[in-house]
Amino acid sequence: MNTPSNLIEKIFYDDDIVKKFTLATMIWALAAFLFGLIAALQLAYWPMNGNLEWITFGRLRPLHTNAAIFAFGGNAIFAGIYHSSQRLLKTRLFSDVLSKIHFWGWQLIIVAAAITLPLGYSHGKEYAELEWPIDIAIAAIWVVFAVNFFMTIRQRREKHLYVALWFYIATIITVAVLHIVNSIEIPVSFMKSYPIYAGIQDALVQWWYGHNAVAFFLTTPFLGLMYYYVPKAANRPVYSYRLSIVHFWSLVFLYIWAGPHHLLYTSLPEWAQTLGMIFSLMLWAPSWGGMINGLLTLKGSWHLLRTEPLIKFFVAGVTFYGMATFEGPLLSIKSVSALGHYTDWIIGHVHSGALGWNGFMTFGMIYYLVPRLWRTELYSKKLLENHFWIGLTGILFYYISMVTAGLTQGMMWRAINKDGTLTYPDFIETVVRIVPLYWIRALGGALFLVGFSMMCYNIYKTIQLAPADQKPEAQVVTRSGFDEISKSSHRNLEGMGLAFSILAFLAIAVGSIVEIYPTLSIHKYISADKIQEPYTPLEIAGRDIYIKEGCYVCHSQQIRPIVSEVLRYGKASTIEESMYDHPFQWGSKRTGPDLSREGKKYPNLWHYTHMMDPRSVTQKSIMPNYPWLAEKDTDFLILRKKLSVMKTVGVPYENELVANADIHAQKQALEITADLEKNGAPKGLEKKEIIALIAYLQALGQKGKMP
Amino acid sequence: MKQEGLSFFTDTYLTILGLVIFFLFFIGVVVWVNRKNVRDYYNSMQSMPLNDGELSYERK
Repeated sequence: MNTPSNLIEKIFYDDDIVKKFTLATMIWALAAFLFGLIAALQLAYWPMNGNLEWITFGRLRPLHTNAAIFAFGGNAIFAGIYHSSQRLLKTRLFSDVLSKIHFWGWQLIIVAAAITLPLGYSHGKEYAELEWPIDIAIAAIWVVFAVNFFMTIRQRREKHLYVALWFYIATIITVAVLHIVNSIEIPVSFMKSYPIYAGIQDALVQWWYGHNAVAFFLTTPFLGLMYYYVPKAANRPVYSYRLSIVHFWSLVFLYIWAGPHHLLYTSLPEWAQTLGMIFSLMLWAPSWGGMINGLLTLKGSWHLLRTEPLIKFFVAGVTFYGMATFEGPLLSIKSVSALGHYTDWIIGHVHSGALGWNGFMTFGMIYYLVPRLWRTELYSKKLLENHFWIGLTGILFYYISMVTAGLTQGMMWRAINKDGTLTYPDFIETVVRIVPLYWIRALGGALFLVGFSMMCYNIYKTIQLAPADQKPEAQVVTRSGFDEISKSSHRNLEGMGLAFSILAFLAIAVGSIVEIYPTLSIHKYISADKIQEPYTPLEIAGRDIYIKEGCYVCHSQQIRPIVSEVLRYGKASTIEESMYDHPFQWGSKRTGPDLSREGKKYPNLWHYTHMMDPRSVTQKSIMPNYPWLAEKDTDFLILRKKLSVMKTVGVPYENELVANADIHAQKQALEITADLEKNGAPKGLEKKEIIALIAYLQALGQKGKMP
Repeated sequence: MKQEGLSFFTDTYLTILGLVIFFLFFIGVVVWVNRKNVRDYYNSMQSMPLNDGELSYERK
């Protein structure tokens, strides 16, 4: 730190790690897109799971989302952050060892996810499905990343932190806070745990996490990348640096509040819903400020689109950012959410962001980076051009088909006849109507994948034709910005990075505390006369199967106080009904109907038949068969441990019930089996998972003490 | 009906608190970026990504 500023130094950037992350991005992208395509085909044509439990939709969908967000998105931002930060800070990354641990640790986490999710190890919380040992590994690797990044800032030669670095800092701090708070759980066994939160607490914490995974994993880091790579590609500075500062602070401050817009019309207290909606609406301003700033950076450089076609990816990416951040606040308006929530509109919205913004920004960045990292030029601009147009067509097919499907189904759900009955009382009618659109969506996904395959070939050829000699080149750097400080102020300004990080932390802490703190005392919101009975041991076993199979991916457990919904499913859900739900299973999508009042609606045999072949009770159902539930045994013994953990997190179980949980469960299982056998089901099911699942399904909505 | 709706609207002070905190914060940021004598500073900041001498290569 004592080097004089006029000293000219020769240093080497660590581009090897950037290369590694770039290639990992490409590999995991292929996996994420492929999983997505298979999942899309399964919705259009249910036997596409090949009768394999590991790739059945409920397990495949978490695999797809985790691969897309954390494997593809994660590696892309690490590549971009490590590449741009070294250059903006004029220093090599702090530690080659930490960089390597970060890289290999992250890939190992992805592999662990790719193994455990298909096996059904899941928390049952969206985008946070990974079980506790992997959660700990993620926290550890994130700390390695943070240490490496902040120490790099500490040893920088450029005093002033460019705005892209601000976005990176906010990302690192916030993701750590989100991940840790949302993952507080108590282990039952090596790969099973229960969150300490329940019901509305768990819902609020989960969507505070879930929405900000979008905000701080898929938005802020990519905005940082935008503020670096768009000016680089256009060879002109960002349109307005002032605007970028307002953009940063407003976005970081506002985003953290927006989570409850995922819970509009649920039993979450009204004030939290209102906060979520209002702050989401306010997000319109900074988001569009950022988009305009990105696009206007290209003002006067539009001719470059002809000679440097990779800029097209940035232009389209930033435009999709604008579209998605326009649509997001729109969907957060309660009356719009009433129509759009639980439908495919949300899926369309998410993919305009994921494919358009994250996908295209990453492709643009990789097309920019690879030729420079390998010191060559891109193999084919023509292929790039084709990738762009085919990919764009794919996204449009995807988006338009899903918005149409969402609006169609949403309108059908709420249609009411003059006599006050539902126009489409059978849920399946509303599903059959949109299946053709599922095919179009799959076509859109396939086109996106075709475009990406062209990119893989293009990048492969580029690297193959690169010069064999890849010895690192020295960069000549000088220290800058440090003098002015010693002249004008004192040394403590050296710690600007730290001061800044604390400010950014405070900005996200305000919203987090104001929203989450009041629900920590959940009893404030619960009426004593509506207290629920906890689940029986067998129902807990069934609930864990429900979570394992990812039922929440397609079925909600939350009836909104909306006329059509009450007509279809029954009285609106209450806070008390999910007060012992660790984790909550409200869901966010209704590919199938809501299940919160499913209990006692049908006989046990109906459920057995339905799980073996849904089409034998609901013609044209698109739900897959679950034959393995009648083959696998329930683990009764572990129920003692499960109930004891449940008791620790606040479910009022008697000691006797905990100690003899397995005996109680077996007794209940025999009762259900006897009823099934009496009605014609095969014999010998009493130990099977299907019995536990039926017990749970029959308990839904039946736990209230009220009449 | 309106009253019924509003009866669910509890803890309004938290909503108002959230809004006030943000509004003050936002005004603060806007004033801060427009403070005097920062034009040169911002000019140098915004050209930062372009000063790292990274070249484009041609295939040999």
